[in-house]
Amino acid sequence: MRKILGITLGGLQKKTITLVLIMLLIMLAAFAGVSTYQNKMLVNVVGATRADQQEAISQVSEETMQEMLERALVSSTTLRADLEDSEFSEIVNNVYMLQTMAQGLLESRHSFDPLQPSLPDPALNGTPSAMVLCEEGVDYTQSEYLGIIAHMSSAMIAMHHNSDKIDGCYIGLADGTDLCIDEKAANKLDENGDPIPFPVRERPWYRGAIEADGLYFTGVEHDAFSNRLLVTCSVPIKLDGEVVGVAGIDIVLETMADFTSADTARGTYAYVVNDRGQVILGPEGRGVFELSDRTVDLHRMGNNKLSQFVDKALRQTTGLQAIDIQGNLYYMVGSPMPTVGWAVISVVDKVVTEQPKNLMLSEYNRINEEASDKFSDGTARTKWTTAFILLGVFLIGLGAALFAARRIVKPIEKMTKSIVRSSQTGELFQMEDSYRTDDEIELLAEAFDDLSKKTKRYIGQITEITAEKERINTELSLATKIQAAMMPHIFPAFPGRPEFDVYASMNPAKEVGGDFYDFFLVDDDHLCMVMADVSGKGIPAALFMMASKIILQSCAMLGQSPAEILTKTNEAICSNNQVEMFVTVWLGILEISTGKLTAANAGHEYPVLKKAGGGFELLRDKHGLVIGAMDGVRYKEYELQLEPGAKLFVYTDGVPEATNGDKEMFGLDRMLTALNEIPDAEPKDVLEHVRTAVDIFVRDAEQFDDITMLCMEYYGKDLHSHDSESKG
Amino acid sequence: MEITKSIQDQSATLGLVGRLDTITAPRLEEELKEILSNVTELVLDFEKLEFISSAGLRVLLSAQKVMSRQGSMRLIHVNEAVMEIFEVTGFSDILTIQ
Repeated sequence: MRKILGITLGGLQKKTITLVLIMLLIMLAAFAGVSTYQNKMLVNVVGATRADQQEAISQVSEETMQEMLERALVSSTTLRADLEDSEFSEIVNNVYMLQTMAQGLLESRHSFDPLQPSLPDPALNGTPSAMVLCEEGVDYTQSEYLGIIAHMSSAMIAMHHNSDKIDGCYIGLADGTDLCIDEKAANKLDENGDPIPFPVRERPWYRGAIEADGLYFTGVEHDAFSNRLLVTCSVPIKLDGEVVGVAGIDIVLETMADFTSADTARGTYAYVVNDRGQVILGPEGRGVFELSDRTVDLHRMGNNKLSQFVDKALRQTTGLQAIDIQGNLYYMVGSPMPTVGWAVISVVDKVVTEQPKNLMLSEYNRINEEASDKFSDGTARTKWTTAFILLGVFLIGLGAALFAARRIVKPIEKMTKSIVRSSQTGELFQMEDSYRTDDEIELLAEAFDDLSKKTKRYIGQITEITAEKERINTELSLATKIQAAMMPHIFPAFPGRPEFDVYASMNPAKEVGGDFYDFFLVDDDHLCMVMADVSGKGIPAALFMMASKIILQSCAMLGQSPAEILTKTNEAICSNNQVEMFVTVWLGILEISTGKLTAANAGHEYPVLKKAGGGFELLRDKHGLVIGAMDGVRYKEYELQLEPGAKLFVYTDGVPEATNGDKEMFGLDRMLTALNEIPDAEPKDVLEHVRTAVDIFVRDAEQFDDITMLCMEYYGKDLHSHDSESKG
Repeated sequence: MEITKSIQDQSATLGLVGRLDTITAPRLEEELKEILSNVTELVLDFEKLEFISSAGLRVLLSAQKVMSRQGSMRLIHVNEAVMEIFEVTGFSDILTIQ
C-alpha cells in the first residue's frame, strides 16, 4: 500500500473514502437531477402560462377594444351624422328660402320694375357680388324674368355673407340666364374681359332639380369655372306650375372636410355619402377611399358587403361592421342624415384598433422578457450557488471521509505494526490507549492482547513439553539401544561351535518393547535359550524385561534346570511386583553333546520343532502360568531329543498376531506354512523368510507388536552329519 | 471395543465386544476401577470377544487379584481362540472360566 501525504492508498482507508465518495456522488447526482428537473418544469410552466396569458390578453383586449370601439364609433358617427345633417339642413333651408323668394318675386313680377343686372366685374373680385352668367348665344337683356330675379341680389349677397359654408348661390332660369352671387367675379371672364359662357341648363344641379322635381343634391362636381369640387344643393322654381328656373347653393366642401377629417389623426376617417353611394366628403389624400378628381362611388367598387353596408347606413345607424377593402380589414359604422337623405360613415383601420392590444402584448412581453431574464439570471445564479454548495458539501464530505478513515485506520495500522513487530521479536503485544476506540478495534486489540499472552504461555509450555519429549525420546532411544545391546547380537554367535547354529532377531514395534530373546552357554556342553514377552510396552516393559532377563540368566548360570529357573524367577519377580506386570517365558537348555533339550514354558507361545528330515511342527508343550502373575507357581519341564538336522523355532506373539489392514491375523498356520516353504534353510534365512512372509501379509498396516524370533539348528557332534544334511 | 455394563446390587456383569489389546485394555481398566470397589461378584462375558493380548491379560490379572480378596470373578462364554490364549499363557489355571 502506497502512502501519499499521510493517506494510505488502498486498504480500509481507501474503501471507507470510496464508500463515502460514492454516497456523496449519488447524493449530489440526485440533488442535481431534482433541481434540473424542477428548473425545467418551472421554465415549462412559465412558458405555458405566458402563452396562455398572451392569448387571454389578446382575446380580452380585442373584445374590449371592439366593444369600446363600437360604442365610441356608433355614438360619434351618430353625432357626426346629426351635425352634418344640421349643417346640410341649413343649406337646404337657404335653398328653400331662395326658391320661396324667387317664386314670390316672379308671382308678383308686375309689381316690380325689372332691374338691370350687371356682368361680372373683376373689380369686385374677393367680395360677394351679383353677376349675370349666360349660355352661349343668349342675350340676358332679353330675359323675361332675370330683371325681376335681380331684386334678390342683395338678399342673396347677405345669405352668402352670413354662411361660411356657402361658396356661391344662384338662380338659373330656363331661358339660359343665371344670376350668380359669389366672390370670384374674375374667373367668369376670359383674358379679354369678356364673360365666359355658362351652360346653365346643362349643369347637373339644374337638370337634377328638374328631374327630381324637388330638392336635389348633386354629386361632387367640378365647378364650371374653378374646377374645384363642389356639391350643389338645388331646388326648381315654378311659376304657375311650370318650371321657370332652379335655385342652387354651392357648398364649400373644404369647410365641411375639416369637420369630417377631424378625427383622422387618431386613425378614424369619417365620410359623408350621398343617397347614390357617392362619397361627398372625406379626408382628401388620406383614408380609405381615394378622393381625387373622380368622385368615389361606393356601389361601384365591386364590394358587395360595402355596398350593402352603405345602403343600410342610408336607412339607419349600423352596428360595427368589419369590411374588407382591398385586402385590409376596416371597422365601419354608418349613420343616416335624415334631412338630406345621406349618411355618415366612420371607418377605422383594424390595425389601429389592434394597436392597444399589440401595445399591451408587447408591454406584457417586455415585462415577461424582463421577468424571464431575471428568472434566467436567478436560475443561473442558483445553479452556480447550487454548484458551489455541492462542491462545498463534496469537499467537506471528502475531508470528513479522510478524517474518519484515518481515525478508523490509524489504530489498525499501529496495531498491525505492533503485531508484526511482536511476531518478529517475540515481544508481547502491548495494549495501548489509542486502541481504546470503544468499537470493534478495541475488541480486536483486546483479542490480540489475550492471544499474544496465551500464545506466549503456550509457546512456553510447548517448548517445555517438547524439551521433555525430546529428552524422553532420547532416553527411550538410548534405552532401546541398551536393550538391543543386552541381547546377543553378533552372528554367528558361536563360531567355534560347529555342533549348532543359533540366530535371533527382534523388531520392536515402537521404541522400547517388552520382547526379548537370549542365548548363552551355561557351560561347555549346555546352551541356554530364552524367548520372552513382557506384558505392556515402553520404559516399564523394558525395565521389567531387564530384570527378568538378568534373573533368568543368573538362575540359569547356577546350573539349575529350566523348571527351577522359571520357578525361582517367578518368586523373585512376584516378591517385588507392584504393577501387575508379567512376562511369558520359554526357556530351553540344550545338551550339546547329546542333543537333549530340556525346556519349560511359562505361558509362552508354543515352540515349533523340525525333526531331522521332517517338517516344522507346532510343539504343544506343557504350559505354566506367566511369570509374575502369581506367587508360588511351580513350573514343569519336558525333554526332547534332537537329532542332528533338527531345528527349533521360538517366537513371540508378535508373529502370529501380526495384523493386516483387514484386521486379519497372520496366525500359526501361515507361520508354519512359511517355515515349511524352506525346511532346509539355515536359521538366519529362516528368520528372514518368516519376516518377509509377515511383511507381505501385513502390507501397509502398522506393526503393532514386537516381532521377535529365534531359530536354532542342531548339527550334532559329528560335523559330517551336518555336511551331509546341508548337502542333502 | 465396546463394553456393556449391568450392575445389580453388588454383582456386576461386563460384556466385552471386539479386541482386548494394548489400545483397548486401558478402557477396561478404567471401567473396572470404577466398579470394583463396590462389587463382590464380577462376571465378564466374553461371548463377543475376538482376541485378547498380553495387555488384556494384565488387566484380567489385576481384576482377579482384587476380586479374589473381596469376592469372586468369573469369565463366561469364552470362545476357542481366547481360550487358547488363556491356555498358552497359563491363565486358564488361575481364572475361573465357565
